[in-house]
Amino acid sequence: MEALSLREDNGDKTAVVGQNTLQLIAFSIGEQTYGVEITTVREIRAWNGATPLPNTRDFVRGVINLRGTIVPIFDLRARFGDGQTSPTKNHVVVVMSVGDKWVGILVDAVSDILTVSREDIHNVPEGNAIDTELLNGIITHDSRMVGLIDLHAVVNGAKLDG
Amino acid sequence: MSDLDDFKATYFDECSELMNELEEQFAAIEGGERDADRLNAVFRAIHSIKGGAGAFGFSGLVGFAHAYETLLDYVRDGRVEMTDDVVNLCIRANDIVADHINAAQSGEELDADYGQEEKQRFDAIARGQRGGDEDEWSGEIIEEFDIEFTPVRVELAVADDEVVEAPAAAEPDTFEAPPMPVEPGHWEVRFTPYRQLYSRANDPLLLFRELAALGEINVRAILTDIPPLSDFEPFGVYCSWEISLFAPDLTEATIREVFEFVDGDCSIEVVPLGHVVPPPVAAPALAPVAVAQPVEADENLMALTEDEVASAPVRLVAEAPAAPVAEEPVAEEPALSFADLANEISASAPPRPVPVAAPKPAAAPKPAASGEGGEEGGNRSAGVQSIRVDLDKVDRVVNMVSELVITQSMLTQQMDENLRARYTELVRGLEVLAQTTRGLQDSVMAIRAQPVKSVFSRMPRLVRELATKTGKKIKLETIGENTEIDKTVIEQLSDPLTHMIRNSADHGIEDPEKRKARGKSEIGTIRLSAEQAGGNILIIVEDDGNGINRERVLQLARDKGLVAPDITPTDEQIDQLIFAPGFSTADAVSDISGRGVGMDVVLSNIKKIGGSVHVRSWTGKGSRMTLRLPLTLAVLDVMLVKVGESPYVVPLSSIVETMQCSGAIFERVPSGGQVLQVRGEYVQVIDVAQRFGMHSNKAPDDRFVVLCESEGSQKVALVVDDIIGQQQVVIKSLEENFEQVEGIAGGTILGDGNVALIVDVQGLRVHQIHQNAA
Repeated sequence: MEALSLREDNGDKTAVVGQNTLQLIAFSIGEQTYGVEITTVREIRAWNGATPLPNTRDFVRGVINLRGTIVPIFDLRARFGDGQTSPTKNHVVVVMSVGDKWVGILVDAVSDILTVSREDIHNVPEGNAIDTELLNGIITHDSRMVGLIDLHAVVNGAKLDG
Repeated sequence: MSDLDDFKATYFDECSELMNELEEQFAAIEGGERDADRLNAVFRAIHSIKGGAGAFGFSGLVGFAHAYETLLDYVRDGRVEMTDDVVNLCIRANDIVADHINAAQSGEELDADYGQEEKQRFDAIARGQRGGDEDEWSGEIIEEFDIEFTPVRVELAVADDEVVEAPAAAEPDTFEAPPMPVEPGHWEVRFTPYRQLYSRANDPLLLFRELAALGEINVRAILTDIPPLSDFEPFGVYCSWEISLFAPDLTEATIREVFEFVDGDCSIEVVPLGHVVPPPVAAPALAPVAVAQPVEADENLMALTEDEVASAPVRLVAEAPAAPVAEEPVAEEPALSFADLANEISASAPPRPVPVAAPKPAAAPKPAASGEGGEEGGNRSAGVQSIRVDLDKVDRVVNMVSELVITQSMLTQQMDENLRARYTELVRGLEVLAQTTRGLQDSVMAIRAQPVKSVFSRMPRLVRELATKTGKKIKLETIGENTEIDKTVIEQLSDPLTHMIRNSADHGIEDPEKRKARGKSEIGTIRLSAEQAGGNILIIVEDDGNGINRERVLQLARDKGLVAPDITPTDEQIDQLIFAPGFSTADAVSDISGRGVGMDVVLSNIKKIGGSVHVRSWTGKGSRMTLRLPLTLAVLDVMLVKVGESPYVVPLSSIVETMQCSGAIFERVPSGGQVLQVRGEYVQVIDVAQRFGMHSNKAPDDRFVVLCESEGSQKVALVVDDIIGQQQVVIKSLEENFEQVEGIAGGTILGDGNVALIVDVQGLRVHQIHQNAA
C-alpha cells in the first residue's frame, strides 16, 4: 500500500465543513471503531516493521524512519490493554502530530472519513478508568459507536517506570 | 526584504559580534589587564553600536550607549579610575546594551526608564570626577568641552555676503589664534567635515577628544562659511575647524589615525607648525572651543598593571595605582595548590596531559602588538580574508556531506569478496571516494568549528556574580580556550557549563574562613579547561574546594529512594549520583543552585549531543567534572552490532576492544552479576539483550564482548549477539518526537532505511546502580 498523504488533498473538504462539525479518520481495532480528528493526521502508511525500543512499555512498538526523522509507533490495541497486535503487511500506521511531535499509531485498518456534528459527541460514561483516560468522547455514526481518541493520553506514560 | 532590512540584519549581526568582543575584553579587564588597548577596544565596540543605532533611529540604545561611551571616555583618558566598581557598572551596562539591541531587533519597546539608574551612575561618576580635580585643566573648561560648546553668536540676519564677525562673547583676546611657535611637535590640523560625515552618525567632538588624548589641543571653529539665514540649508555643513596640537612625539600618522573612521567623509590637512597653513578666508573668525590637557592615561594604567603583577596570583582588588594593594593577605602562597591536586589526580588516574600551569600571570604588561586584540589586528592586516555566510547555508552543505558520507559507507558495504576480486578498478575508485568524502567532511566541519572561547568568555562574569552572592573568594582560570568544537556543540555547552560552575562555586568552594582553617588559600580556584583527545573534546571543570560530601550524598540518595538501604555503592558510584534527576545536596536551597535541577540538566544536555559526563572528587581537596564531547555532531563513527534481532550502534570513540565470548574469562560475583577478567583487570559485564529485555537466541559462546570505556577510567563490557561492522552514521534525536529512553543515547538511520539505536554506554552503568538498588 502506498503512503497516502492527507495533508493537502483534504484541505478543501475541511474548509467547507462548518464550525460545528468535525471530520474524523475512522480506523478499526478488532470489531471496534475509533476516530481521530482529520487535521491531526499527517500520513497513513502500511506497517513495515519498527525498531523496538528497550525500557519502554509494551504498547511502544518501536521507532521508524519517516523521511529522515525518527518517529515512535504506539500499538493502540496494547495501549487499551488488549495485548500486542501481531502486525502484518495489512496493518496500518496512522502518523499524526500531537503537540509539536509526530507519532504513529498502529491500527488494524483505516475504514472511513466521517463528518460528524460536535453536538453528537457524547461524554464517556464514568466507570472504567482506561475508557475515560483514553477517550475524549463517543460518537454514534450509522448506528456504530466511534470512540474519539485522546492522543495526548495515548502517548503519555510510555516509559517503563513512568 | 528591503535594503534597509538587509542593513539592519547586518547591523544586528555586527552587534552580536561586538557584544562578544565586549565580553571578551571585560573578561580580560576583570582579570586585571586594564591597559589602554582593551579600553580602546571596548570604546570602539560601544561606539560602533551607537553609530549604527543612530542610523536606524534606535533612540533608547543611542541614549544609553552615549552615556556609557562618555564614561568610557573618561576612563580612557584617566579622569575616572578603572576601579572594580566601574568595571562592575560597565559589565551591567553591557547587559543593558544587549537588552536594548535585543529589543530593537525584536521590535519590542523597553521601558522608557530602563537603564536609567545606570545612566545616572555614569553621570554621577563622571561628574564626581570632574568637580574633584584640582589640576590645571579646570573643571569648567572640561565641562564645556564635554557637554557643549561655548555658545557662539553668529550674525545670521545679515543678508549680504558680509563676513561673519568674531563672536561677541567675552574677552576677544582669547579668541585669537595662539602664537605659533615653530617647534617640533607642534601641528596644525584643518578639519573640514563633509555632509556625509554627519549622516554616518559621526561626531566631531569625539574626534577632538581623541586628539586631546594625544596632546595639548586648541580647537578653533571656522564660521566664515556660514551663509545668511535665508540661504541656510538645514542639513548643510558650514563649519570647519582648525586644531593646533602639541605633543612631543607626535607624528603625522598618529594624527591621521584619529580620523581613520571618517576617512573620505572630510578633508584633513595636517601640517607641522612653522609651515604656514594658508587660511581659507582672508580673516577667519576663530572661536576656541576648548583646551584640554594631555592626560597620561597610559602611564597610569601601566602603573596599575605593574602593581597587579606584584600581587599576583591573586584576584585583583587593586583600585588605584597608589593603593597599597600588596598588603592584602592574598599574596601568601596557597597551601594546597592546583599543582598538588594535579599530582593527586595523575597519581590516581591514567596519565592525561594535565597542563599544570601556574596561575596565569594576571597581567603581564604587554607590548602593544601582542595580546588578543593585537593578534586579531595583526591577522586582519596580514590579509586573512573572510566572508560572512549564513549558518543555514553551511548547515545545508554539512547535511549533504553527511548524507554523502553515509551513501559512501553503504556502497563500501555492498562490496563483498567476489566483487572485490572481479572489479579492482571499482574498488580503487571507492577507496578514493572514501578518502575524498572524508576530506570533504573534515573541511566542512572546520568551517563550523569555533573556539570554545565564545562560551568560556561568559564564565568569568558568572564566577564574579557567584562570588559576590555567596561571599566567597573565587578565581577562575581558563585553559585551552582556543580549542575548536562544532558550533552546534558550543551552543549546547553554555547551560551545562553554567550549572557545573555554579555547582563548584556553591557546593565546592568553601567560605574563606573555612578555607583558611584548612590551610588553603582564601581564594578558591575554579579551573575551566578544554582540550582535544582523539575524536573527542574534553571540557573539564575543576575546583580546589571541599569535594563531594559522600556521606550526605549517599544519605540523600537513600532518603530519596535512589539507593536501596542494603546496597553500599563505591565512592565513584556515589559521586555519579549527583547527576540523578531531582538530586540536590545544598544544606539550604540557595539562590544559586540547590533546586535539584542543576546536574541532571548537565547530564541530559550532554547526552543529547552525544557526550558523557564524569565526576571525580577528592574529599577536602576538590573535585573534577569532565565532559567528553564529540568533535562534531553531524557524523559519528560507530560499530554496528546486533542485539536480539535489532541493530544497535556503539560509538567507536568509547570502544577499547572487542572479543569473542568463547575467548573471554567471566567470573561470578556475589550480587549474581558477572565480571570479565581482562589482563588482570576486572570489568563489570552488561548483557545488553538481557538489559533491554530482548531474547538472544545465540549460544553464549557465539556472542561477542565489546569492551567500552565510559568517562573516567572505568571500563564496562557489553555483551552483544553479533558484530556487523564499522560505519559512519548521522545522529538523530529520539526526543524530537518521543522522549529520552534509558540506556539509549539516540537513533540513527542505516543505509537500508531502518532505524538503529545508539547505545548509551555511560547510561547503562548508571542504570545498573539503580537497578542494584531496586
